[in-house]
Parts: sequence; structure tokens; C-alpha cells
Amino acid sequence: MNLEELYRLLRNAHVQAQGIIDTVPYPLLVLDQNLCVQSGSRAFFTTFNVDRDETVGKHIYELGNRQWDIPELRHLLEEVIPKSTAVVDFEVEHDFPSIGRRTMLLSAHRLFHPDNNSRTLLLSIVDATERRQREAEKDVLLGELRHRMKNMLALVQAIARQTAAAGRSGEEYRDAFLGRFNALVQAYDTAYTQEGEAELQELLELTLEPYSEHPTGVLVEPGPPVPLASKQIMSLSLILHELATNAIKYGALSIPDGQVRVRWTVEEASAPHLRLVWQETGGPPVAPPGSYGFGMQLIEFAVGRELGGRVELNYALAGLVVEIVAPLGSVS
Amino acid sequence: MRKTVLIVEDEFLIAIDLKLLLERCGWCVLGPAAAVEEALELLDDELPAVAILDVTLRDGSVTRLAEALRERHVPFVVASAYSRPELIGGEILAGAPNVGKPTEEHRLLAVLEQMVGA
Repeated sequence: MNLEELYRLLRNAHVQAQGIIDTVPYPLLVLDQNLCVQSGSRAFFTTFNVDRDETVGKHIYELGNRQWDIPELRHLLEEVIPKSTAVVDFEVEHDFPSIGRRTMLLSAHRLFHPDNNSRTLLLSIVDATERRQREAEKDVLLGELRHRMKNMLALVQAIARQTAAAGRSGEEYRDAFLGRFNALVQAYDTAYTQEGEAELQELLELTLEPYSEHPTGVLVEPGPPVPLASKQIMSLSLILHELATNAIKYGALSIPDGQVRVRWTVEEASAPHLRLVWQETGGPPVAPPGSYGFGMQLIEFAVGRELGGRVELNYALAGLVVEIVAPLGSVS
Repeated sequence: MRKTVLIVEDEFLIAIDLKLLLERCGWCVLGPAAAVEEALELLDDELPAVAILDVTLRDGSVTRLAEALRERHVPFVVASAYSRPELIGGEILAGAPNVGKPTEEHRLLAVLEQMVGA
């Protein structure tokens, strides 16, 4: 073998070694025993925006205005590495002058050598900033989801606790509870699945449909279009459920001849107002209830606080008349 | 001493539940208030013996109200689904007991009694 062939052989070996390093898809440095850079991967130079010629031969701490002179990295290279053959995914957070604050995962491996006496280090640097950010965002989202689930459970707890049990059989309690529970589920469905908007007419028909056992039981009279926001849908659904169950128990829907008419108008005063009237006729004689239960509180709260309006209950001899007046448009 | 409790909660079903529950147990309820401003106005009329606070209200975090209560020496408990309400509502909530959401009845009553030193 002549000198030229030997040179070509060595050169090919060198080119291949560098090629292997450059093929590694993440930043990688080859360091000698004094922590001086022998070589680096292309990914290293592009990621940290530094020049190959300015890097090779330099001590790692001196690179790029000493941007790698980081206490955690010093600790890793000077204290941890000498006592072990490999360190994997050592996390370093650092402000890099050219690329800003980053979370880097450093892994160092002693280069394999048949005689096991190598002092060369392979230092790989994986930028985990975005992965960490995504993980943090996911955690926030999961936390919010957990919070909402518990809120939902609190709503169910509220109706379970406030549905009257005294003087009722277990079955009666269950039916009353499930009636409210289903109203809540349906209200959520209507409020949050149709991109938060529904028409009043649609809501009335949907909510009162289960109570229209015979076709004349509940009559929804056609009225002007009233688009509703999620919150208004929630409140109105629950209010209508309370009115309907009350009518079935004590009011017009407790006998076959009774009827409920629901009608509404939009009043253009200074701001548009909805006037919704629930009128019962043909039922047994009515009297104001002796006690003031959860159902009534729910109606008053829902109208007063959620709809920002007021409700009037008129226990007329011919039947209960409920009138709800509430502002339309944005309700806080 | 009259057992008065201020309820601050913006979810109306939960607010009614707390109100009815506490009234049945002999408490006199102020509110429920759904917003910080509304609660502050109630404080102008009467100071409760204790307050139950939700962390996020209609007009934002409960922090300002918690500070106002502390100034007036009104003890408060937090009723929150967050395991660490102080991360949302600020350090002022850190020392307050969290009766949780959903709120277990016996624990709520026990904590309130303890707060008013009954």
C-alpha cells in the first residue's frame, strides 16, 4: 500500500465518521478528554446558529460567547460523567443568546472503544422546549376539565339534595330526581351542542314535548323569532321543566281536560324584552302553595339572576298564570 | 350571636342548594351573591359571621372580596372544585379551609361552626 492509497483510506474513514455524526438528527458534539470539541453534527450548528470552524477545537464552555458555560452542564460534565459511562436526558433550562429560553435534554455517552479506555464523550442536546410547553398546556387543559367535571357533579348533588324526599316513596323520589336530572342533561345538550344558539320556539317544543301526552295538553303558540344564548337556554329549560312538573302534579296537566298555553312577544322598549306567558286552564282550582320549595326558588333565581328579568306568578282561580319578562341580547 | 353566613357563588343551582341547606340548619343567609361587586354591596349593609366563597365569579376572581373580608375580620371558607384554590384566586385563599365542590353537607356545617367558634 503506497502513501496515496493510505491517505485515501484514512480520508474515506474520516468522511464516513463525520457523515455518521452529521446524520444524527439532533445536535451532537464529540468532546475530547479536556472537553474540547472534536466534531459536531450539522444539526448542532443549525440549531444554535454557530459556525463549524468557530466551534471545532474550542473548549465547550468557550463556545458562542460562553453560552454553554451553564452551572448545570458543568456539574454534569465535571461531576456526574466521570463517575458513570452514560447520563441520559439531563434537563437544563437556559437562556441562549441567539434562540432564547429553552429546555434542553442533555445526554452524554462515553464513546465505545474495544479496550474500554476511551475518554471521548458524545454529548447530545435535544430541544424539548416545545414538548414541555405542550405537556404544560395539556396539564392546564386537564385541570380545567377536572374542574368542570366536579362542577357538573355539584349541580347533580344540588338537585339530588334539594328534591324533596319527605312523604315520598323511594320510587317517587327517584322519579322526581331523575326528572330534574334529565332536564339538566337536555338543557346542556341544547345549550352547548348547537354552537350555543337555539330559537325559543325550538326550545319550547323540545322541552315541553314529553309533557304533551295528548295533543291538546301543552300548546305552544307561534311567536316572533327569538335567538337564545347558552345561558338563557339552560335557565329556560330548567324553568319550563319545573312549571311542567308542577302542572302535572297540581295544575292543569293533572286532569285530562286541562291545558297549558305558552305564548310570547318581543317588546321593543328602550331595549328588546321577551315576555313569555305560561297559562294554565281547565285544571283543578288553584291556590298558592303553602311552602316555598326548591322548584320555586329555582324559577325565581333563574329568571332574576340568569335572565336578568322578573317573574310573576298569578294563582288565578281558572289556573296558574306565569309571566316572565327578561331582556334579550347580551345577558350577563 | 346570630349565625349569619354570606354565600358567594355564581352557579345558581349550587347557590340555591347552599342557601336552602344552610337555612334548614338554622343559618341566616346573606346573598347568594354571584359577583364580587354584589357581595361588597351586601357587606355595606351587614357583616356576616362567616362567608363561603366560590373562586371564580361573574366579574372575575374572588380575591378582592377575600381581601375586603379579611380587613373586616370576617372569616371565610372556600367552596371550590380546584384542589388548590390559591393558584387561581391568589395567596389570600391559601389558609382558608376548602369545603370542596361538590360540597359534603356534614363537613360544610362542621367547618362553618368551627369558624364562628360555636
